[in-house]
Amino acid sequence: MRLRIVRALCLAGLLGCEGVVDDGLAGPSDGLSPGPAASATPGPAALPRLTETQYRSTLEAMFGTDAPPTPVEPDTNPYLFFSIGAASTTLSEVGTQQYEENAHAVAAHAMDPSRRDAFLGCAPASVDDACARAFLERAGRRLYRRPLEDAERARWTEVARTLGEGDPARGLTLSLAGMLQSPNFLYRAELGHPEGPHLVLDGFEVASRLAFLMWNTSPDEALLDAAGRGDLSTPEGIYAHAAQMLDDPRTRRAVGQFFAQYLDLAALDGIARDPATYPQMTPTLARSMRTEVELVVDDLVFRREGDFRELFRTRRTFVNDELAALYGVTAEGATPITFVPVELPASGPRAGVLTLGAFLAMNAHPTETSPTLRGKYVRERILCELVPPPPPGVATQVQSADPVMPRTLRERLEEHRSNPACAACHDAIDPPGFLFEGFDSIGATRATDHGWPVDTSGALDGTPLRDGRDLGEALADDPRVSACVVRQLWRHAVGRLETRGEEPALRALHDAFVRSGHRFTELLLELAVSEAFRTASPPEEAAR
Amino acid sequence: MKRLSRRAMLRGVASGVAVSLALPPLEAMLGARGAFADGSASGPFFGLFFWANGTPWHAGHGAEQAGHPDLWTPPSIGPGHAPSELLAPLSRHSPTVITGLTPHTDVPDSPPGQGDGHMRGFMVALTGDRPRSEGFDHPSHTLTALRPSLDQVVARDPAFYGRTPSRFRSLHVGVSEARFHDYGHWNAISYNGPGSQNLPISSVAQLHAMLFGVPADAAATLRRAHLLDAVRDDASSLRARLGSGDRQRLDEHLEHLSEIRRRLELSTGALCTAPGLPSDGDLLTRADALAQLLAVAVHCDLTRVFTFMLTSPASVHSFTDLGVPDGMHKVCHDGGWEQVRAITLQQMTCFARVLDRFAERADPGGTSLLDRGVVFGTSEYGEGFKHGNAEHPVLFAGGGAGRLARGVHARVPGGNLADAHLTALQALGLGTTEWGWNGGQTRDVVAGVLR
Repeated sequence: MRLRIVRALCLAGLLGCEGVVDDGLAGPSDGLSPGPAASATPGPAALPRLTETQYRSTLEAMFGTDAPPTPVEPDTNPYLFFSIGAASTTLSEVGTQQYEENAHAVAAHAMDPSRRDAFLGCAPASVDDACARAFLERAGRRLYRRPLEDAERARWTEVARTLGEGDPARGLTLSLAGMLQSPNFLYRAELGHPEGPHLVLDGFEVASRLAFLMWNTSPDEALLDAAGRGDLSTPEGIYAHAAQMLDDPRTRRAVGQFFAQYLDLAALDGIARDPATYPQMTPTLARSMRTEVELVVDDLVFRREGDFRELFRTRRTFVNDELAALYGVTAEGATPITFVPVELPASGPRAGVLTLGAFLAMNAHPTETSPTLRGKYVRERILCELVPPPPPGVATQVQSADPVMPRTLRERLEEHRSNPACAACHDAIDPPGFLFEGFDSIGATRATDHGWPVDTSGALDGTPLRDGRDLGEALADDPRVSACVVRQLWRHAVGRLETRGEEPALRALHDAFVRSGHRFTELLLELAVSEAFRTASPPEEAAR
Repeated sequence: MKRLSRRAMLRGVASGVAVSLALPPLEAMLGARGAFADGSASGPFFGLFFWANGTPWHAGHGAEQAGHPDLWTPPSIGPGHAPSELLAPLSRHSPTVITGLTPHTDVPDSPPGQGDGHMRGFMVALTGDRPRSEGFDHPSHTLTALRPSLDQVVARDPAFYGRTPSRFRSLHVGVSEARFHDYGHWNAISYNGPGSQNLPISSVAQLHAMLFGVPADAAATLRRAHLLDAVRDDASSLRARLGSGDRQRLDEHLEHLSEIRRRLELSTGALCTAPGLPSDGDLLTRADALAQLLAVAVHCDLTRVFTFMLTSPASVHSFTDLGVPDGMHKVCHDGGWEQVRAITLQQMTCFARVLDRFAERADPGGTSLLDRGVVFGTSEYGEGFKHGNAEHPVLFAGGGAGRLARGVHARVPGGNLADAHLTALQALGLGTTEWGWNGGQTRDVVAGVLR
């Protein structure tokens, strides 16, 4: 990845280089400023392995929910996204073994005599009778997300014949187990085929891309049929199918999964709070906070098809009983497992996702808040800026509160401003973070910090703001925010960071997003039909 | 015993002969493996034990860290030294302690952040080299290794396993699941190379099943082995379409298939009595449970290389049982010296418990399993308050099948951390004579540690 310093805040050479840098390719003012009208150059095709969710949901769709669950290699999320981890890491030996074991367990389950006939729809008398051929064809197309090639058809028929040792059912079970651990199933080969200077995805590869983008799972029979008919060879055809897919519950789930990664909600999973400091913290509270954000996103994107930017200023949220208590709002019908819609009070301190428990708690420490973590999140996650690490050798600890002469955390963080080595970055990070000082480590409002009244004033890029709600309003109107979500969706969709050649395509997507009134569903459709999403550059060298 | 050639098997299958042939008895497939399982084996095993966040800081780490006593470095040098306060839990295993080491490996300034004590520290401590600069990204803490970690160097050295690798070339366990970051390299300490890691197993039940849940049906197991040849062939057309990076990823996957195939052919389950499933629990209980299973696995020669990650690099594990509510990483940063002292003592107590499980198993001749071991213990840096890399802690436990001196304290102020790696490799009897990269190159071992 190329890094470019957008704002040199540092005294370069004297202190080493500190500064807020942006990854790249974005202009300083809006993250995706209009550039020269260059045409997009496709980036390289990635080869993501199926994520755990994609692998499991594909098996579930084919073999039912009672298929044996077995462990698989955990996903990793460099640059926030599982798709990037899936495209950049190498499967471990244990992971390979787990696929092997799963393949046999699942195949044995599907071909168990008690359900084999129902699964096959016929009874094979030999490994190459009509029944067996139809089975291999169907299972192969579903698993490989394209029709089998001749050599593959011959291979799995031969396996059934040789290893089945005269028992066609046993042979077909082994062929199925073979396909279930084949790289053709486990890796998404959306690689494209030469057409002019670029590679262009064929209909089946488009079906695969669409399905993983919109549903986070493999294409189903209907989508593969559409690819087979040639429906997915034109932007119009893709648009028609993608628009239909929007109504599918799988799309809502997949969009929720994207937002969970973009907003880093997994960071809530591990949070612990000191019970002495925070008696309100329960084992379920963090999970409730995550659910709340998921419901807010789903409501905004799908139920109301609203303006994405509302996410940062909406007073509409969904609470269960413990969140209602945390926020001090009445929520009729809320129980531990029932979330009900509420309108947060217009006069209260909360509006927008950054004033909800999830953001506030995940960016705080077990015993005290962290304006630094909160400000860093705003910079990196919401604005797509890049905050460099502290320069080597500087003290990074914040003085502990003195029990005799306590000071607020804000005062203790003054060190960040008085020391120029720290100030270079913390001047950009801490002021937006201070805006949330009215919320403690679990997201409850507070009036004092170590006995002193809290000061919630702060700033974003030098513009003074009063509190987190103010910041939400500012972010909602900031084009860097909408450009950032476009960039993040792109990374999620293609399984890698953007290349410089793709910047025009990202700008075009952002323009379309703006024109649609920032409707996220429209952004998905624009992405689905964009040429950049259907093309790739050839690999840097031909494989041998 | 005559070893049945795999090629012979394949020829049989390919020509259809195997259809009418009864599959060969399991014993024929086992080859020379059985010889190792009866307790007569004398070759060394290698363990890599890792704990997070170093040791409590003191003036030896730097001027800013001064003001606290050094509770790590034993007060005297040489064999028969008195253990320090923090090493007291390990004293029953007479570990050899090396103090004063520091990574000599250079780390570039750009992209920024690689020189951070954690990232520089754990990569150098595990691989002898710096993190790979290409693709390094600080905010998402994405980083990868440039080369294999020490355990994989051992497992792949032809002089270590020879032609009869154990059923598992290496095993990897991790105790605490607390994560500083979700990205895999922060949660694994074993690497094959860039982007390729050996993720640890933390489930006691999963490790038990993997080691001892061997299918009883030998014929079915062999069919599974043969199926893998077709799986490999099936990847060839995909492989031909890939650029070099993805081709390398796929090739590693295909190499793993060969390894799994070998493992299926070597179903040694019958030769190893499966222990009961130990109970899982807090850090110490789980460390104990995983160690029990690993010790059986090593004893039965199911493996001879393992890594044991007690806590992951920059761990945010909360030692609430010690009255420390905050995550460990923050406690270090915040200067909670007394808490870090208690945490380090607890981590050494866990290390000692792991070693107990190897010490208590003996070969028929009465030799303790630990006597055959080279267990290399290390952390990611000297201390976590300033992420200081001075005084990088290194411990050796076990007798290295006679090659490793026990109970020695070797002090090498400013010495090259890579010397400790080379010492470990030579303690295993490998012919390695040089080690280290990018400024950390060495041909020296730590004096007084090898016998």
